Amino acid sequence: MKKTCVEAENLSKSFSSGGNLQHVLKNIDLELYQGDFTVIMGASGAGKSTLLYALSGMDTPSLGKISFGGNIISDLDQDGLAVFRRKHCGFVFQQIYLIDGMSVMDNVLAAGLLISKDKKAVIQRAKELFQAVDLPEETQRKFPAQLSGGEAQRVGIVRGLINSPEVLFADEPTGALNSKTGLDVLDTLTKFNEQGQSVVMVTHDTRSARRGNRILYLKDGRILGECDLGRYVHGDKQRHEKLSAFLTEMGW
Amino acid sequence: MKKHLFLFCMSLTFLLEGAAAFLFFREKDSGAQDVVAVNRVVKTLERDWNHLDKHKNATELDYAVLDSEGNLLWKTREDLSESMNAAIAHRDTILDLSQEGNTLGKVLIYNNSEDVFTERRRAAVTGIGVLSLIQILLFGSYGFLLYRKMVLPFHKLEGFAERIAGGNLDVPLEMDRQNLFGVFTESFDLMRAELKRARLAEAEANAEKKELVAKLSHDIKTPVASIKAAAEVGSALAEDKKIRENYQQIIQKADQINRLVTNLFTATLEELQELPVQPIDMESSELQNLLENADYLCRAEKVHVPSCLIWADRLRLQQVFDNIFANSYKYADTAIEVQAERTSSQILIVIEDFGGGVPKEELFHLKEKFFRGNNAKEVEGAGLGLFISDHFMKRMDGAFLVENGTKGLRVTVAVSLSGRI
Amino acid sequence: MTEKMLLIRGNLHRTKGQVIAEILLILLAAGMMNLWLMLSLDYRQNFDRVHKKLNGEHVTLCIAGAEEQMQRDIADILEKEKRTQEFSIDDAMYIPGGIEYNGGETTTSFVLLKKEDALNRSIGKIELVEESEYTEGVYLPMIYKTGEITVGKKVSLTIGSKKMTYQVCGFFNSVMTGSHNCGMCEILLTEKTYQELEEKGYAPQSTLVSVRIADKSESENFETMLNHKVSEKYPLLSTISNSYALVSQSRYISQMICSGVVSAMAFFVLMIVLVVIASNIRNDIQENMKNLGVWKGLGYQSRQLIGSFLLQFLGITVLAALVGIALSYSLFPGVNDMMVSQTGIPYEVHFLPIPLLITLTVLWGTVAVTVWFSCGRIRKITPIDALRQGVQTHNFKRNYVPLDQTRLPLHAALSMKTTLTERKHNVTVWITMWMVSLIMVFSGLMLENVIVDMTPFMELVVGESTDSCININTEAEETFLREMEKDDRVEKVYLYHSQTVEHIGGAELVAIFSDDFSKVNNQKVVIEGRFPEFENEAAVAVKYARENGWNIGDEIRLGEGKKEENYIISGFTQISNNLGRDCILTREGYERLSKPGNLSYYLNLSEDVEIDEFNQEISRRFAEDVNRTLNVLEVVNGTSAVYISLMEVIVAAILLLSVLIILFVLYLLARTILNKKKKEYGVLKALGFTTAQLIFQTALSFMPTVILSTVTGLIVSSWVINPLTAVFLRNIGIVKCTFYVPVGFTAAAGIWVIVFAFAAACLLSWRIKKTVPRVLLANEL
Repeated sequence: MKKTCVEAENLSKSFSSGGNLQHVLKNIDLELYQGDFTVIMGASGAGKSTLLYALSGMDTPSLGKISFGGNIISDLDQDGLAVFRRKHCGFVFQQIYLIDGMSVMDNVLAAGLLISKDKKAVIQRAKELFQAVDLPEETQRKFPAQLSGGEAQRVGIVRGLINSPEVLFADEPTGALNSKTGLDVLDTLTKFNEQGQSVVMVTHDTRSARRGNRILYLKDGRILGECDLGRYVHGDKQRHEKLSAFLTEMGW
Repeated sequence: MKKHLFLFCMSLTFLLEGAAAFLFFREKDSGAQDVVAVNRVVKTLERDWNHLDKHKNATELDYAVLDSEGNLLWKTREDLSESMNAAIAHRDTILDLSQEGNTLGKVLIYNNSEDVFTERRRAAVTGIGVLSLIQILLFGSYGFLLYRKMVLPFHKLEGFAERIAGGNLDVPLEMDRQNLFGVFTESFDLMRAELKRARLAEAEANAEKKELVAKLSHDIKTPVASIKAAAEVGSALAEDKKIRENYQQIIQKADQINRLVTNLFTATLEELQELPVQPIDMESSELQNLLENADYLCRAEKVHVPSCLIWADRLRLQQVFDNIFANSYKYADTAIEVQAERTSSQILIVIEDFGGGVPKEELFHLKEKFFRGNNAKEVEGAGLGLFISDHFMKRMDGAFLVENGTKGLRVTVAVSLSGRI
Repeated sequence: MTEKMLLIRGNLHRTKGQVIAEILLILLAAGMMNLWLMLSLDYRQNFDRVHKKLNGEHVTLCIAGAEEQMQRDIADILEKEKRTQEFSIDDAMYIPGGIEYNGGETTTSFVLLKKEDALNRSIGKIELVEESEYTEGVYLPMIYKTGEITVGKKVSLTIGSKKMTYQVCGFFNSVMTGSHNCGMCEILLTEKTYQELEEKGYAPQSTLVSVRIADKSESENFETMLNHKVSEKYPLLSTISNSYALVSQSRYISQMICSGVVSAMAFFVLMIVLVVIASNIRNDIQENMKNLGVWKGLGYQSRQLIGSFLLQFLGITVLAALVGIALSYSLFPGVNDMMVSQTGIPYEVHFLPIPLLITLTVLWGTVAVTVWFSCGRIRKITPIDALRQGVQTHNFKRNYVPLDQTRLPLHAALSMKTTLTERKHNVTVWITMWMVSLIMVFSGLMLENVIVDMTPFMELVVGESTDSCININTEAEETFLREMEKDDRVEKVYLYHSQTVEHIGGAELVAIFSDDFSKVNNQKVVIEGRFPEFENEAAVAVKYARENGWNIGDEIRLGEGKKEENYIISGFTQISNNLGRDCILTREGYERLSKPGNLSYYLNLSEDVEIDEFNQEISRRFAEDVNRTLNVLEVVNGTSAVYISLMEVIVAAILLLSVLIILFVLYLLARTILNKKKKEYGVLKALGFTTAQLIFQTALSFMPTVILSTVTGLIVSSWVINPLTAVFLRNIGIVKCTFYVPVGFTAAAGIWVIVFAFAAACLLSWRIKKTVPRVLLANEL
């Protein structure tokens, strides 16, 4: 039996734009499990990112309840959410969002030192992570603008993982990358997942989706269906076809 | 940054030099005698004339005192002009000392302008020397800096260019951020990286193309084979073409009749059904308002509706509730009980009055159009309310249920949840 | 034009808050500048207007004698003199006296006139500004109209050595003799009152001579000439005189101080406006690189883009300046009341086109130049570069304060990063805080030296101050000194007598002499060189010396009566109450010219001695030999009250101003930072930074510069404030200030400024609260 880490109940999210409400998420019930590589798929505008940000406490839902590892986070205010996020969630963004004015190392430490007083340990962890994502020492001293997209996104992953979050939330991590560097980033995510890191990833790209063991398909703000793919195995055709069949069924 | 610092230091030293020169040339009157001090010398000497041994020099001047015969009486130090002649030769200041109109003697105030000028010249030379030294140092260090920042890196680039020309794309160019043309070297290195990447990509694309051609040739084979097989079976079973065609025609015609009858029936309903129902997503809390609007006599208690998103048309749903409450006011005229409940895909609004309900046989006809119950004779109405409500709810993917409850007529309005249809 | 309006509309919309703050700053600058110009340009002219209206005299002379022969002689002198235009000779009473005013006694020389006589004079007319139905009593110059002295109340005047109490019947305006600052002060008495006083003989029968001359710039020379001729003929009669040149300055001392301070403030605010505009435009261009690139891509020329900036800022400037000028007009009545209580000359606030034009022109010009230079970068933008700027490939900024090496706590380190990367802000902060520091030090200086302890300021203005002044006949000098030496209430007694002498070929100077200048309380009177030591030395007023181009060591010729002697200048003095018309001699030095018939001795008394009682006792003891006693301390207090209230207003106003400036500048900077870092703050919030932490960080990032600039600013200001103040006080004969800079106050003000800046920065960064991580997913719902 898998252990639940995030649970959403009756989750809805509306935005008001130009006076009228736009309902992006509609009555979603969802459980995420520990150790899973959950992929949220769907067309643009289906509400994938909104769902991700609601689940991760980046944004408050309009209706419904989210409990994260037993804590109800849907009632927290912005500052409460901030404190919650820094401890429990890691983020990887499509636009990467490293801070331009700081070196790579500082980008990571700015997040890491936020909750830990033990600076040495944080630096140590950062270095281990950098090694794990295959970024050499000199890169750590560079500025974000000097990195290639793939490198920057791997820095993003390091930053996301620096506080050992329960779940790493990745919002189209390969969206702004070319296919080769995208694969590197996916490999990195897969590797961490294999080591037990729960990952939730939003994507609209089949190749990225293949990495997940659980695929959720979102359409018009609701979960249209889900598919259990089993663990990722490189080059497994059967898995591949199962995913294709599922996506076809969903109207992809 | 370094350049600015250098320019700043240079202009600062130039400014200092200018200021020093300006001060030097401006201070031309410092050779003049200090009249006030001279006056003090004269006045104190006149005062002390009778006991010159007790006289003290209260100024910075040097002087010698002569009596009216020209004998030296007092002097501040050695090496001064001690006679009128010597004083005149040395351009000293010679003044009479007098008391109440009588001349007592003379004071020879030593001309020290030479010393002053020497002193000033020395100061000026040292000052300018120091400043020039600073400038030389600045130039020197800047030159050294230029060498380090520009000449050396160019040497490094030489080797790099040779390697690339030789096809070795793996060795990156070491860069120094502080470097004057760091941007330039970086682009150079970017060019190397791009070249390398382009080469790899080219190899990859070639491999993918071959794979695709192999796959397509396999996929097309299968459907072609099936079509061929079916055609063979069909031609093998064909005996009497005409009989088979006749049977086929009979079935088609029967289908046509059925379709026509259905069309005829639905055409009459169209007028009613043409009312547009446009459900949208809205928050369930709005149901509360709708119910309150409908219950204008306030027969029901306020109800709590579980919060979620529902799929409904606000206007039509209001009409549905209006009908229900109006019916209850008309036929039962009792208090009304409203309950809301959420199931997995719907919100159920259950509305019940205390009027005892309707006879069983009428219950099934209630939702038909133009149906009016026995007790409706003296009440106005057309018998369409529940029919339309039922129609509206169906169009909203919901449901509309009428039954006899324990106390009276119970109407259940089932509103669909968004995303759960 | 239309295309520019389009651009401007876009700009304004984007930078609403910024524009508002700029408007307020420009408004302040314009207001202050206009106020200053009105004060300095028109306020002085008002004197001439009133002078003309009242057909004012240029030289006034009062002689303690009323023989007809003498009056004829004087008329003769005046008629023979070519420069004389018209003159009037009237009977009066002239006596040194005092009036209780502003909590102290102000001493002056009273010229008592019959009301009817005074009103009928053809020159030096008197204008009644307030009258009443009281038939017997006195009319006072309107400067004395205060809370305590109003129509219907009684006023007590010291006439000679007698105290008299009179009914106040009204107030009048007299341009040349309407204030103690004029050297003499007219009082009008009604017929009966005049006669009563005349009969009592407290004040001698005198003659008042008023002369209008053709060229008013000659007034001082004319005064010297007249004095000279009269004292030649009647050497025994005491006289007093003034001239247009003296009065027109002395009545406007506080106006000069005030306009000096206002001009400095206007200058500071203008500086800050320009710095702020420059930094705003630079930021604007930086932030809008892309848009500007697009505009250029669409075919706009740099000229048009810069033109739109110019148009925008000049438009704002004109609007804000007009409002600011309106504001200055609404403030002016208040300032005017304050001023009128000092000058004693009524002033009607009216519209002044020239200050308005100057203010507008100066603001326009400076703003235009600033905008023009700040926009230079627009020319360098090419559309391609600007559009690509979003994808900056190269960035060789240094990584300031690396987090893995620094020992600073995380938030401090992040703030330091901001401080070091946003260096242009530091420049703005720096300039602002320097200005604010200067303002603070000036306030401190004024508080300490004018409001808390008046002595330094009084020493500057009055020259010498002590407890009591006793004027005795020369014959009684030795006895007097012996007695005083014995008296243990007297701590110090020294000669400090003033007499007028004539600078041959120049103005009349007040010569102060003493036999031992080391005893004088205010050693700072001599600012360069030294006190005279020998009989052939003199220290002269620095202002007069500069006017004549003298150096120390030069010789001047002084005369009294028929005698003339040469003196070597041993030093320069500054005593402002003679407005730079004085010199200091040794007693022997003065005696070369003339033997004084009476001498004023200054006495320092022990703490607990009642000065008035002491004076009375001395008067009784020496009876006929004491001519006059004076409670100097009280005189000083009376004078100081006026300055204290003036300075209190000025200090309060400039402190308020500095608070406003800090707020505006920090608001603008915080705004710029927040705009620039919107995304960064979004990312940091996503990573789990709370609003409070980010606000704290932003505010903290200003602190290193604020602290450094405030501290250096305070130190430098403390150093330059004295020479700077001297520049403002130059008009009243002050060249060198030696005010005490209060260290405690300055340090406290520094700390207060820093804390305030921090609090303000926190408050102004509050907008961070609005930034939510949602901005990061703006592209996808």
